[in-house]
Amino acid sequence: MRLFRLTIATIFQRKAWAICLLAVVALPFALPMISSATEKPILVQPARILAAWDALWVCAVLWGLFTAAREGEANAKSGIGEYFLATGLSATRQLFEIWLAVFCFLVPLTLITALICQFAAAPADPVEHSMWWVLNAQYVVLFLLVMAPLLALATALASRFGGISGFAVTLGIALYGLYGVGYLDNLLKLEENPILRHLWLFSPQYRFADLTQRLYFKSGALPTAAFWTMTLYFGGILAVYTGLSRLCFRTKLSS
Amino acid sequence: MTAAQQHPLAPNIRLDAGLEIGYGRPLARFDEAVILGGGTHFLLARNGRGKTTLLRTLASTLKPVAGHFQVAGFIQYLPEDLRFDPWITPAMVFRALLPGARLQEALEFAGRVELDVKKPYGQLSTGNRRKTNLITAEFSVKPEVGNILLLDEPFSGIDAFTRQIFEEIWNASSANVLRLVSCHPDYDSMELSSALMIEGQQARYLNSGAQTWSQLKTLLN
Repeated sequence: MRLFRLTIATIFQRKAWAICLLAVVALPFALPMISSATEKPILVQPARILAAWDALWVCAVLWGLFTAAREGEANAKSGIGEYFLATGLSATRQLFEIWLAVFCFLVPLTLITALICQFAAAPADPVEHSMWWVLNAQYVVLFLLVMAPLLALATALASRFGGISGFAVTLGIALYGLYGVGYLDNLLKLEENPILRHLWLFSPQYRFADLTQRLYFKSGALPTAAFWTMTLYFGGILAVYTGLSRLCFRTKLSS
Repeated sequence: MTAAQQHPLAPNIRLDAGLEIGYGRPLARFDEAVILGGGTHFLLARNGRGKTTLLRTLASTLKPVAGHFQVAGFIQYLPEDLRFDPWITPAMVFRALLPGARLQEALEFAGRVELDVKKPYGQLSTGNRRKTNLITAEFSVKPEVGNILLLDEPFSGIDAFTRQIFEEIWNASSANVLRLVSCHPDYDSMELSSALMIEGQQARYLNSGAQTWSQLKTLLN
């Protein structure tokens, strides 16, 4: 795991993770103080939920994908990938170790967000409260299932096409999956179009992994069957993206 | 052609006759088989004749155009332009990459060659970056197996004092480490007792004990 340790050290030393940590820890408490929740205390907890998970999404898609792309590009361009390849560390293993290092920074941020939601924004009602941790746990699982393959794809694309491409493409996919498919869905409800229908069908429906509104409106945990269906769906996307990432990933620049 | 050492840990490289290296089309060809054993071997050629290409081929990061070769040992290939992230320090590089048992030894060695291990890599001079890379490779050598270090111009930017200290390590570990070092020697009396030379499109091996750079450079074209 030498490349993993080197990547961890690099990310740690660059210190941008500290800004994300500060955002994830402080914004859920600071933002409600400057919102309309100050006039209506009942709104503080929903505002905190919004601030907490939105801060995490922003950190993940901006910092997480950027970092993954930068590490992938640096590995290929700096000669480090070639050095490790010569020592017998395969391209698959290199991709895995770089991905794991970035993922190791994202997991604590996700857990902190879930803990803030659990302990600083839980509903008082005992029935709602009992479902709260389940919903938070479901959100953590789905969020990580969405982000994990995107990080790998950002690393792989950046190693082949450069950091900007790796970051921009995966950021575009994430935003499209979170918001774009929703607009496409509305468009198709207004007017049927077979091309757009197929596009929608093969689009990553990341919006289903965004359970912020469910927390906000205290809609309770996802039914078990629905949760497993979504887990399988995002697991399928993970499998496809993993394959694509491996195909794209390069350990060195082309000769 | 020379016989590889018979020590059980002895690394070796065997380049078969007919081996051609290059990027799609051949840059250089070995007409005779060459076997290299433990110790230091120099790789000499003018710019663009295939030194880096040969090292990358032996590191198996580039396919040969034709022919075969065999390597036995744990390979490390240090590209000339290898660079770590500009923000991390040599100490962090060593902690991440070196076996725990050799870390302290590497840090002490860094002190001997006047490498500031707490300074960010991006702020180090070219020579000090090279020292970081070389120390990483040298202290990653596995004592329990044969090792092959493919070093691409490792001494450019490094002062003579440091070079001498590295050469002491090389001499001490020649039994289980084979070093193939591409370089442009900078003084005529430099001894190159074992040299792979690429002349034109032909590669050959010269191992006369007394040969020096002043004799060999006349062969390069």
